[in-house]
Amino acid sequence: MRISRRDVLSGLSLLGLSAGLLGSRRARAQTDEYRALVCVFLFGGNDGNNLVVPVDARYTDYATARGQQSDGGLALPMDQLLPLAPATGAASYGLNPNMPELQQLWNSGALGVLFNVGTLVAPTNKADDAAGRVPRPESLMSHQDQQNQWQTSLPDRQSRTGWGGRIADQLPAASLPSLVSVAGNVLFASGATSHPLAVPMAGGSTFGLTGFDGSVGSQAIRAAMTALRGLDLDNALVQSVAGETAAAFAASGALSPVLAGTGSTTDALFGSQPSVLGRQLLQVARIIEARSVLGATQQIFFVSLGGFDTHNDQINRQSPLLAEVSASLAAFYSATVQLGVASQVTTFTLSDFGRTLAPASGGGSDHAWGNHQLVLGGAVKGRQTYGTFPTLALGGPDDFTAQGRWIPTTSTDQYAATLARWFGVSPGDLATVLPNVGRFPSEDLGFLG
Amino acid sequence: MAVVTSRLVRVATAAIALAGCSSQPKSPPALTLAPDAVRLAAQATFGPTVAVVRDIEQRGAAAWIDAQLAQAPSDLGTYTVVADNVAAVCPTGSPSTCYRDNFTPFLTETAFFRNALSGPDQLRQRVAFALSQVVVVSGAEVRPNYAVAEYEKLLLRDAFGTYRQLLEDVTLSPAMGRYLNMVNNDKPNAAKGTEPNENYAREIMQLFSIGLVQLGPDGSVVTDGSGAPVPTYDQNAVIGLAHVFTGWTYPLQPGATQKTHNAAYYLGPMVVVASNHDTTAKVILGGTQVPAGQTPDADLALALDTIANHPNVAPFIGKQLIQALVTANPTPAYVARISAVWADDGHGVRGNLGAVVRAILLDSEARGDVKTVSTYGRVKDPVLLLTGPARALGVTTDGVYLAEASSALEQPPYLSPTVFNFYPPDYTSDVNLVSPASALLDSGSVFTRANATHQLLYAPPGRDTSVTGSTGTQIDLGDLAGYGADPGALVDSASALFLHGTLSSAERSKIVDAVNAQDASDLGARVRAAVYLVLTSPQYQVER
Repeated sequence: MRISRRDVLSGLSLLGLSAGLLGSRRARAQTDEYRALVCVFLFGGNDGNNLVVPVDARYTDYATARGQQSDGGLALPMDQLLPLAPATGAASYGLNPNMPELQQLWNSGALGVLFNVGTLVAPTNKADDAAGRVPRPESLMSHQDQQNQWQTSLPDRQSRTGWGGRIADQLPAASLPSLVSVAGNVLFASGATSHPLAVPMAGGSTFGLTGFDGSVGSQAIRAAMTALRGLDLDNALVQSVAGETAAAFAASGALSPVLAGTGSTTDALFGSQPSVLGRQLLQVARIIEARSVLGATQQIFFVSLGGFDTHNDQINRQSPLLAEVSASLAAFYSATVQLGVASQVTTFTLSDFGRTLAPASGGGSDHAWGNHQLVLGGAVKGRQTYGTFPTLALGGPDDFTAQGRWIPTTSTDQYAATLARWFGVSPGDLATVLPNVGRFPSEDLGFLG
Repeated sequence: MAVVTSRLVRVATAAIALAGCSSQPKSPPALTLAPDAVRLAAQATFGPTVAVVRDIEQRGAAAWIDAQLAQAPSDLGTYTVVADNVAAVCPTGSPSTCYRDNFTPFLTETAFFRNALSGPDQLRQRVAFALSQVVVVSGAEVRPNYAVAEYEKLLLRDAFGTYRQLLEDVTLSPAMGRYLNMVNNDKPNAAKGTEPNENYAREIMQLFSIGLVQLGPDGSVVTDGSGAPVPTYDQNAVIGLAHVFTGWTYPLQPGATQKTHNAAYYLGPMVVVASNHDTTAKVILGGTQVPAGQTPDADLALALDTIANHPNVAPFIGKQLIQALVTANPTPAYVARISAVWADDGHGVRGNLGAVVRAILLDSEARGDVKTVSTYGRVKDPVLLLTGPARALGVTTDGVYLAEASSALEQPPYLSPTVFNFYPPDYTSDVNLVSPASALLDSGSVFTRANATHQLLYAPPGRDTSVTGSTGTQIDLGDLAGYGADPGALVDSASALFLHGTLSSAERSKIVDAVNAQDASDLGARVRAAVYLVLTSPQYQVER
């Protein structure tokens, strides 16, 4: 009989060993069951003001500030919004009309919405910000910097590790890296000692060498390749390339059939012609399905969709992107249900920043700060909103400019800490994963059960 | 004639091998190439060839560079002007080539690769390619192929001119106007509640000229009393500049009537409609006052002068050119030497790109037979991993395979995913070194790169009947073709051409062993095996 870590831990506690030892960084507190975090990064800065819209008395503020679409404005008509009704009572908010699948998941209790979260050096408000009492994040409103800071949750410094990577640094070594990106080498998934495995999306390139057979000549070439990546690594960049190459070859044997869809039972859920995001999430589903074979117990995934930098023509550009998000997240959630891991997989969105409430010339919006995000999964206490919705007034109490740029009322640290704690990071390790989290009042926003 | 001769020799060699002669056919002696000439060719062209290296050896580096600076741009081709309207140009039922040829940069990319392989203006093309990754326009959003081609011709034309001229031409390019929303950027409209679009105003400073934080001439970050970086501009400067950039619209199409918003058209620079220009006073970069009531052109000139004269431009852009051509982690002293040339080319001209490129390539940090500093060099761009082998190995191509392979390798020219290029200039690799191109080198691309190399060597695709005039891609292994019978000379020659002779004896013996395990009667397969191993080695991925 295989002895699980939980058995070992309970045995240890019977022996009276201290909780301090049990809480050591290699142990996960709650349980031995498989758990996965899936980060969906919406590159370019998704306009959250049109993701979730108030449908109560505040709709007028929204419509006034955003302007009619016929005038180059951005207001979504009230009757098109998809109501996000709570378990009891009337809906206060409506979802973007292109996201019916996510409205259903809201109604079934799997989807939650987090309001006005953003990069923060410390808690602040309009008065503190204006007086310079709390420093702003470095290079606020720059795509690259804010993408990085959402991934590092360190807006007051440069960092070459992301919080997904730092969570993985806490995990025991596994045969397959705990971090898997279907979107290349990303900062989110880079730790101090952890490095992501980057895999192609479903239907993408081959995760292995092509063109070789079992002939003597082929075997000799492959053997020489193996030897060459271990030789003459005096140059640091060569060493880096060799390390990446070695990791790829080490994973290829076990992973390439999984990535090619061998044995996958969830492909059909993503449709016959899955979208770019769907193909990435399908690849995640395939890896989760093969978790036992691959020996994976805790995994952190990264997928992404670009195109959200809607400076112009926003209605026409954001609509298909949000439709793609909705359809592919719903397909992925269905896959986790089918695989019996819905409550063990939590999916969440990140994005560069929010966008101005006021429209810009050309029917778009410009870079801003705080933004709304989505959390999805069986463990999510869904059908609820979290955080504080901003006052939709240009130059109002939440706007640090005159165009509707929200000062965040919840930090990326709190958002990440809530996910990390659920994933199994012990309270004592949270400060290692999220060095700034202690500056904020709560480490748990309550959206995960 | 040299090509013909070497081909005849190869035919004769193969014939002897097939005849099964007991005496081994003679290989020529291994190539000997001056290592620093090979390195210069790797830095300044799309890949060393024996011919280019001999040219550098004979002229010397400085004279060779001067000759390159004098080369006119290769022709990137002329493409059909189409309306910027897919549904109108390629209605349902059109052949799939309609969209590909008119609304993706595919055809321009094939010309890019043809020119990269055989154009005489190698340095100009290489610098234009570097600039295309700084002042980015992408066919992902600017869809008409002819529009992207016009923009890339602009970069080829301006590659050795002043940066001030480049900035102006880029700013008024309708492709850039379309990409970053300066085209049809209206002055404030209180009735509609719209503000001028901030996109171009932000990115011309952040990406195209000065960056986010103040820099010293050596590229070091200027910090305040508490150690925090000092920003170069604030949101108000972005807003001020957004107002400067109002009123411009597409060039007037022949036969059309001038309007506030002209229809999308991409030949020639944008034109201005003065009545749509904001004439209030503006404050821009560094607190510079743009007076009320100026003409749009005067506003623009003042703004571009202010930006181009900012001291950050030299280290910010100069360092990126060093990183694109020579090394990802130049010493501060190297950056400072280039900043000095940027400030004054010796004739009082600021931002003379030709002089800057010459100084970058002739710097002591770029030149020398042996580079032993462990942080030296740059991870090669995927494009160079395609063009380098193709140029060295006698590839003839219509460019179709290379254009398609560049997409698989995540660096299709002119088709960057965003204005932030294929990778950020400050991307830090896992060895804690800046290495921009490492952002594209992940476990998945390890295989796509090796497999693209395999295809080029073993099975280059033939003619693509969907492409007019397609000839396919052929490879004859070039100057290495004759070495199949002598594995030692073969590997030494490959090392000389691809690694400027740096292959160690340990690596050499591994490759020689693998060559000896190939079918002895198939000399071409032996050459391919050696070349494949060199090209997929970690050593070849780093130019140093």
